Amino acid sequence: MANHKPFFALKPDRGMLIALLVFILLPFVIGLFDGASPAQVWMNGSGQSKFIQGLAIEIFILALYALSYDLIFGFTGLLSFGHSMFFAVGAYLTGILLKNFGFSLAATFGMIFVASILQALLFGMVLPRVKGITFALVTLGMASVFHVLVLSTELGKFTGSDVGLQGVVVPDFISPATERLRLYFITLTILVVVFMLYKRFVNSTTGRVCTAIRENEGRALMLGYNTFYFKLAALMLSSLTAALAGMMHSIYQPIVSPNVAGLGFTVTALLIILIGGVGTLNGAIIGAVAYRLLDYGLRRYIGESASFINGAVYVLIVLFLPFGIVGTWRMKSLQINQGWKRLLGMFTNSQDKSDGA
Amino acid sequence: MKLSAYFRKNLTLIIVLAVLSGLFIAAANGMESKDFVITLLRGLSVGSLTFLVASGFSLIFGLLDVLNLAHGTLFMIGAYIGWTVYVRPDTLVDLLTPLALLLSGFMLGDVWIALSNRILFGKRLKRILPWVGIFISALILFSVLKQYPIAIWKVANYAQSPVSISYLASQGQNILMPPVDMAGFSPLLGFAGLIAGSLLLAFCLAVMKAGKQAATICITWRNFSGFVVLLLAGILFFVFNNALTDFLANLNSNWLFLVAVLVAVASGIGLGALMETTLIRPLYIRPIYQLMLTLGLSAIGIEVVRAIWGRPEFTMPRPELFAGTGEGCPATSLADWWQYHCSTMLVMDGRIRVFNEILIPVIGIIVLVAVWMLLQRSRLGMVIRAGVQDREMVEALGINVRRVFTLVFALGVGLAALGGVLAAPSIGLSNLMGESFLLNALIALAIGGLTSYPGAALGSLLVGLLQQFIIKYGQIGIPIPFMDVIFKPSPPIVPASTILLMVIILLILPNGLLGKKE
Repeated sequence: MANHKPFFALKPDRGMLIALLVFILLPFVIGLFDGASPAQVWMNGSGQSKFIQGLAIEIFILALYALSYDLIFGFTGLLSFGHSMFFAVGAYLTGILLKNFGFSLAATFGMIFVASILQALLFGMVLPRVKGITFALVTLGMASVFHVLVLSTELGKFTGSDVGLQGVVVPDFISPATERLRLYFITLTILVVVFMLYKRFVNSTTGRVCTAIRENEGRALMLGYNTFYFKLAALMLSSLTAALAGMMHSIYQPIVSPNVAGLGFTVTALLIILIGGVGTLNGAIIGAVAYRLLDYGLRRYIGESASFINGAVYVLIVLFLPFGIVGTWRMKSLQINQGWKRLLGMFTNSQDKSDGA
Repeated sequence: MKLSAYFRKNLTLIIVLAVLSGLFIAAANGMESKDFVITLLRGLSVGSLTFLVASGFSLIFGLLDVLNLAHGTLFMIGAYIGWTVYVRPDTLVDLLTPLALLLSGFMLGDVWIALSNRILFGKRLKRILPWVGIFISALILFSVLKQYPIAIWKVANYAQSPVSISYLASQGQNILMPPVDMAGFSPLLGFAGLIAGSLLLAFCLAVMKAGKQAATICITWRNFSGFVVLLLAGILFFVFNNALTDFLANLNSNWLFLVAVLVAVASGIGLGALMETTLIRPLYIRPIYQLMLTLGLSAIGIEVVRAIWGRPEFTMPRPELFAGTGEGCPATSLADWWQYHCSTMLVMDGRIRVFNEILIPVIGIIVLVAVWMLLQRSRLGMVIRAGVQDREMVEALGINVRRVFTLVFALGVGLAALGGVLAAPSIGLSNLMGESFLLNALIALAIGGLTSYPGAALGSLLVGLLQQFIIKYGQIGIPIPFMDVIFKPSPPIVPASTILLMVIILLILPNGLLGKKE
């Protein structure tokens, strides 16, 4: 294919490489600020670095989750209000299998793989019948039924009903308490791998058809693509990623709150990709960073009314930054570059003043 | 011939309706007639409240294509405003003056636009000036409003919190807060500050818009009338503050409740119009963003309610007509109730609450008929129906669709606010009431058909009945055939049951029961 991008290219992926480097060095640099040498950080000594690592792990998990939502909403154009179910199934299944059934981590992962394919098929089952906003409502219904199941007292023995799932014993080598740095790097690796996989998927022929479905499904059908299979493929990949994010969530957090199965958590994903830019992969990651830091900062310094500011940020972004950070950056990058040039031209007094106008 | 064609065309719908009525009859057979009547009326009550939310929602979605997810929050705000008017009329009266003065500047919008078109600002100045003006006016308004005397409850102080005020009011002791005086400066200065801030704000917004509206506006005395009226109203409210407070406080609670309903509906209409013109209108070209905007607004609304009225739940006392408990109660007939003003009534040996189970369904039916008449028999209704069918065509015929959009949005929010103020005495006020009713309304609309008005009514009825019957069966248990176990559904099954019904119906009929086929 002519428009295949190479799997990896130095120049266009410069920003992402720098970000990766920053994330690799982050725990050690924070450690240095705190007066802990890299060796101490390496040995998982407690301190500021450990806390920052925890925050970063949450960000990575959120980024994974937002990426998966971006794939079906931003690229394929399926508005689903039941996405939190994908995440929650991963989280709850991990916890229950590890705690009540004594599965090993690998076996758990296998079960999650199967479960995520199954739930993608469940969502896919309704795809041919309902479209647009009705699809959103049906998926919301399915996720709400799952939420009710999680909350019900009959299953309380497994799910912990409204208290949340707790007391999951995580294998020692990735325990968030003692081996946090290792968990940090494992989560980061998963994020990088998933990101590259998504990049490959989006730029592949299948991904192109998905984008075509978002733009005009009728035309894609007319061109001879059976759009159902493409949507199902996107759903499966998305479900798998979200379940993986849920699994990491269950491993990292001491309590899996039933809120992760509710509508609010789907809205969180929507908010993240809205901040970052709908339909951009780096947007999901940047959005996750911005969202988590904003949320953390507001809760710390303002306290209870943080969700007011969250809502206000939401409204302001919709009104003034409709394409998100990455989208706006892409649109304005030419102007920004020109502005930089003009600014530099002022200082160096060069001759090319004319290109600014 | 025609009938058989109709049957063939709507076979699925008829089968679904037959199955539903079969289920209903089975449910009715399983319980005593006393329980059945009570459950039926409760279902009607919940269905009516749901319908008040769902009908506005479906009108807005049908005409404007806006999925207003803040509708539940507006329902809740209506309830809280109604409570304020009913329990604390003094706060309402104190709020009238600043509100009138704040709005007065915006009544001159046309004048400002004309003026800013006349004045030629430099390009840079035109960009900076409005923001500077907005900042200054915000500063003025903030400093005045911070000092402005409003007798209000205190969320942090339990003795003066809405919870205890509500409790006292339900005991019949409605203690008004002592009137507060302007702290620090004279009322004249306060008024001047409010008016100046409002004028400056309106002018700056006009300058911002100036280049975009090319039409020349003819200035006559009419453009000033709204300003003068609001100004006078603000000053009159201030002068007669105490008299008005006394009048409202000594009013019979039935009339006060009516005032509360009217104020809540009016403020719902105002909020809706404000929301549509300022926030939703710029986003008609980007439909998906409206959805996110309304989500954000609903989060903001909930937080505002939490900040003003606090987190704990409380109930609004019922008006006197529905609160009697003494001699002659429970009433045995409607005439009996009218004589003794009983809160409860005996129907087929079952005790029902008059307000919840009689008044709310009656109002629901009245609204159903009234809006139906508006839609079918008036010119506005014709435009709305035509707009739901094909918006571009209506625009092309030269009808000002923008104005109709604002009207319909305001009407929808007004209906939600009416639902809220009716829900306040019956199910109580809480921060989460909006979300649960929004979910109910969404389910009802999905069942009935998203843009269909009769569908909204049918869906709400089904949701209300199903919920109440499941709750009742949770108490008495369902005998499962061929088994000795009695199945008792646990409380979480209630939301799940309606959602399951929605999913099943949407899978059989993707457009809902009465939705139009695409």
